[in-house]
Amino acid sequence: MVDPRVARFTAPVAAFATMVALVMATGAVLFARKIGFDGGQVRAFYLGAEAGFAEPRSLAGLLEVAVPHLLAVPLLIFVTLHLVAFASGMRRRPFALLAGITWGCAGAGILAGFAIRFAWPWLAPLKVAAFVGLQATMLAWLLLLVAAILPPARGASRSGGLTGSEAAPPRAAR
Amino acid sequence: MRFLVQPNPAVMDRARPPVRAFLGFAALLLVGWVASRAAHGALTPDGLARILEPSPGERLGPVALWEEVHQGAFLYGFLLLTLGSLLVVCPVAPGLRNGLVGAATVAALVDLLAPFLHVVRPGFPGWALLRIGAFGVATAVLLATVAVAWATFGREPRRTDG
Repeated sequence: MVDPRVARFTAPVAAFATMVALVMATGAVLFARKIGFDGGQVRAFYLGAEAGFAEPRSLAGLLEVAVPHLLAVPLLIFVTLHLVAFASGMRRRPFALLAGITWGCAGAGILAGFAIRFAWPWLAPLKVAAFVGLQATMLAWLLLLVAAILPPARGASRSGGLTGSEAAPPRAAR
Repeated sequence: MRFLVQPNPAVMDRARPPVRAFLGFAALLLVGWVASRAAHGALTPDGLARILEPSPGERLGPVALWEEVHQGAFLYGFLLLTLGSLLVVCPVAPGLRNGLVGAATVAALVDLLAPFLHVVRPGFPGWALLRIGAFGVATAVLLATVAVAWATFGREPRRTDG
């Protein structure tokens, strides 16, 4: 039985999930093209490489990328997890575990660039692992979200629910 | 968030001012987005081709295109979620609500993905006009959604049972 309160949000949540999938897919392409999935490529990206005449990344350059991501990535994760928590019947422990991995990968992914550049270049594989972990867990969250939202759209309860129905907006249910 | 899932008249009344402020900023964002693209020359086919023309050897298209899709999908995603969710608690017909969200989503996807037609098949005719048109439709529909939400949020639904 699907909560009719959730069914009403199917269209905006499906649109959001589609756009988040696009954000993640283009993020993967950008990571592959600009940085690369090999530890050596990651080190070369941050520390510079004589072969490609690439300069080491400056602190300003790193911040230019990190600051928008420090807003956008947590916001994206927060909203996605919030929707999954509300819409799906996922148990508390697996939810917390997967959420912890997602948050950890997001934080590690953003901060690893600074660590590679200024502290320890051999953290390059951590950057790659964090990015892959974030992508994989976000894909899992999106699948959970779609599974929770889309099925009710086909057989949606139209007989009214806790606060209304598809046909009547919530306040009409009073 | 409470007014979205458990709306009642008192909560809706309290939520109306911040919701309208948000809607005002959403409209500003959309207008600013149009102005930004215009300033970069992205609202003419020639300008768009100049910005997104792949360099020789860039089989996947320019990095700038991927960055634009990356940022654009983020903006569209949050606008569609927030505006669509606000419409859920407005007294508008489900058909109108789903139509607005659906039309905006399709137009947004065409706007974001149309330049790849040129990447996949160089010289694909009309890709720039398709993108410009889709951006116009997406923006117009999202602005219409803002207007509908502004006008109807917190209003009593019209009674149809006599």
